[in-house]
Amino acid sequence: MLKSPEWHLLIVWYFFLGGIAGGAYFTAAIADNFGGPRDRNVVRTGYILSLLMIGVCGMLLILDLGTPSRFMNMMGTFKFKDPMSIGAWMLGVFGLFSFVSSALSLVGGEERAGLRRRWSLVGILFGFFLASYTGVLLSATALPFWRDGRLMGALFLASGASTGMAAISLLLYLSGDSAGEGFKKVKRADRFAIVFEMVVLALFLVLLGSAAAPLTSGHLAPLFWGGLVALGLVIPLVLDLAGGLRVPAVVPAVLVLVGGFVLRYVIVMSHA
Amino acid sequence: MARTLAMFTDTSLCIGCRACQVACKQWNELPMEEPEWTGSYQNHAHFTDKTYRLVRFIEKPQANGELQWLLMSDVCKHCAQAGCLDACPTGAIHRTEYGTVNINQDVCNGCRYCVSSCPFGVVSFNHDTGRANKCTFCNDRIHNGLGPACAKTCPTESIQFGFRDELAAKAEKRVAKLKEMGYAGAQLYGADTNGPLGGLNAFFLLLDRPSTYNLPEKPLLPQRNVFVDSVLAIGAALVVGVGAMVSFRERGGKGDGDA
Repeated sequence: MLKSPEWHLLIVWYFFLGGIAGGAYFTAAIADNFGGPRDRNVVRTGYILSLLMIGVCGMLLILDLGTPSRFMNMMGTFKFKDPMSIGAWMLGVFGLFSFVSSALSLVGGEERAGLRRRWSLVGILFGFFLASYTGVLLSATALPFWRDGRLMGALFLASGASTGMAAISLLLYLSGDSAGEGFKKVKRADRFAIVFEMVVLALFLVLLGSAAAPLTSGHLAPLFWGGLVALGLVIPLVLDLAGGLRVPAVVPAVLVLVGGFVLRYVIVMSHA
Repeated sequence: MARTLAMFTDTSLCIGCRACQVACKQWNELPMEEPEWTGSYQNHAHFTDKTYRLVRFIEKPQANGELQWLLMSDVCKHCAQAGCLDACPTGAIHRTEYGTVNINQDVCNGCRYCVSSCPFGVVSFNHDTGRANKCTFCNDRIHNGLGPACAKTCPTESIQFGFRDELAAKAEKRVAKLKEMGYAGAQLYGADTNGPLGGLNAFFLLLDRPSTYNLPEKPLLPQRNVFVDSVLAIGAALVVGVGAMVSFRERGGKGDGDA
């Protein structure tokens, strides 16, 4: 009998918030480099959100070890083909990029914008890494379903993008900044990410075939179909496209975030 | 590296006495666990952080309706390509100079990635110490010229300890002999260093298909997926990145009036 690593809610939260951290960072970096001055709120919100999230992520992982100081044991080696080892290091590297980007977006003004943009062009790679490696980490185990999903990393990346963008738009909305151009653009990018996530998820399930049973027909299936597919993907997309419904912009953003959490929850807990 | 050591478990000689299981517990000072009802004489049902050797009692239905015992003393396979070792982010899981796989308890930090990376379900999390445990191949004994406690105690020589190359040759002869005696299903599991996982340093002689013993027919290294999955994730990153770029691109500073 194969054994479960007994990863529970702390890891679910880590996978979820790590996706937001990565997604928010690369969204901000793209807005910084390819957007205009009216996207400055998106840039700043994205960088700072990623910094806050990565801080929480570090704490979640350390808590999960039971004895916090043992986290340092991971810093004694670097294994290039081991997602867990690279991940532990990249958490620190990403934190550094996220910190400097946040600082440059708060102070330094426009004369430091060039440096901030170049810095984020490198950081963007770590953002993509952080959002996707947790999926690859799961698929590099011996456990059925986890090991069978070739698109696990791609799916986590797409979800990191959609949730990171949803989190930025939610924060902009809450801070009363939802009338601007930046908000409109981040919503547009999120719409694209949601559609892409749906495509990846469909391919993921098709490629898995019967191995997808823990998601599609087990005790987690109602949560998967209801919480992720319906509430987290289809409904927010429909609400977003059907502008005439007069639903506050906050609703689809919250739903996407719920969906992103449910995705990590059903996948991790299928081997709880 | 010293010459590779191995354990050869010949299940055709096992009488199910569980002396190996007890010797392992005693030498390694592993505490007792509550017995559990497994539906057969087997106890415990699975490897745990306190059970490194486990005699499996397989009941196989025969054509005449009776059951046949298949006994197998199971243990960590000390794979030549070990999923647990590759998964370990601290380097606690290491290969010894004798080719065995061992967990340095002082370095293990309890991340439990190895637990999910063992194709045989051997590595177990110890909730008392917060670290991972498994058979050590009696690391202390082999470094002092002794064989593992289980092999030492086995009264039928079902478990043999020695140099890997010598044991593998012996195992080949034994299979041929058993086939001659009419055991058509006799086969080696993990003896071939060109086979799955580069061969197992604790290998077995089985009297039936591996799946009958709940062993994977062809165990695979979990890390085989890392490359392909990473490439696919990079592809996804490109799609997402281009999507965001198009969404944020400035069009003459006027916005495009969309949405």
